[in-house]
Amino acid sequence: MRTRALLVALSIVVLTAAHARAHHAFSPVYDAKRTIVVEGVVKQFRFVNPHAMLLMDVTDKKTGTVVTWNVEFAGRLNLEEAGWTVESIKVGEHVKVTGNPAWKSDQRMAFVKLERADGTTLQPGNAQRASAIEEERRQRAQQRSQQK
Amino acid sequence: MSTKYAWAVIALFLAGCSQSAPPPATKPAPTPSKLEGMWSDPPPTAVGTFCFFACTDAGIERLNALLDDPANDKKPYGELRAAADKYQSENYLRPKLTDAALKTYPLDPADDPGFLRCEPWGLAKQMFAPHQLEIRRAADDRIELRYGEWEAVRTVYLDGRTRPANEPSTRLGHSVGRFEGETLVVETAGVAAGITWWDAQHSDQLRVVERFTRSDDGTTLNLTATIEDPWSLREPVVTKKIWRWAPNQKITPYDSCEPATEFKKGTREP
Repeated sequence: MRTRALLVALSIVVLTAAHARAHHAFSPVYDAKRTIVVEGVVKQFRFVNPHAMLLMDVTDKKTGTVVTWNVEFAGRLNLEEAGWTVESIKVGEHVKVTGNPAWKSDQRMAFVKLERADGTTLQPGNAQRASAIEEERRQRAQQRSQQK
Repeated sequence: MSTKYAWAVIALFLAGCSQSAPPPATKPAPTPSKLEGMWSDPPPTAVGTFCFFACTDAGIERLNALLDDPANDKKPYGELRAAADKYQSENYLRPKLTDAALKTYPLDPADDPGFLRCEPWGLAKQMFAPHQLEIRRAADDRIELRYGEWEAVRTVYLDGRTRPANEPSTRLGHSVGRFEGETLVVETAGVAAGITWWDAQHSDQLRVVERFTRSDDGTTLNLTATIEDPWSLREPVVTKKIWRWAPNQKITPYDSCEPATEFKKGTREP
């Protein structure tokens, strides 16, 4: 079960990169091999094309300084396929965002996962796609073993 | 002539008039093609996802071989997809490229004009754009292909016209089409030099023949595109693409592109 979850998670990461190039490649801006987690309060969510954007105020726990982070998503065209709406992320809510950090900006990342204060999560549409593919692979393996 | 006979002649004359001068008829609307409607991202299958943007038979065969090898059962799908993608690039696409195209192949993703300057794609990428594709009969003599990506619109003329000799090349070119049974065949020329979906440059001599068909069960739209360009290709490249029937999808405004400012060159997608 743990292996399955890991396979799905890895698939999502790679699918994210592949899907992100729909408009343009993410690789010149973000390091897909690293992930970071940032917590903050939603300042603005722009549900637009070609890429949705989230502005999030993040408070440094030691100094109390507030800096604004920028989270880049796939476009509205893509997110709506997965059932997202403009209400999916609300201004003022506390969120924990996992993403790929930018190469050249300290407060910018590409979206991988968002967790709300109540524990619910938002994932890119390709999370469902990745699960469906893993199910297809299990069925293929099963058919293969039955043919032996 | 008796009065009775005269009335019969008049009646026949009037009947004849009514038959020879029917009320002005409106031209019947063309029967909608089975291709018309809204399509979007491919089914969530291994092959469908591999062809999310575009793919080739060589790549699909390689992917299926990798998926059918028990040694790969524990490997993530993304790794197999990337391996099939690399195989397709190195064994199918690269050998078809001319020396001129090989000089810059594959192009650095940071040099993409869409990324740098928000310039919409040319035909050789746009026709494989992910997400929505809406096919509609815009008039008796034309069909429109509307894409979600870049909100691009292509007009395909069905009246047998040819491209005017002096017409300048454009981003999406000049398309003419015909139906062969239920298959829509679209031929495009007059495309300005640009970039292909496999990240190579092409010239304004590019020519494309697209064949759109709907699957027997009606759930998918399949495209086979044959691409020729004597400047960049030694022989034609045949590309596949799949969309899923998506009547509830809609195309939303594409109005918030921002040119890239902070980026790094020399990277590749994993």
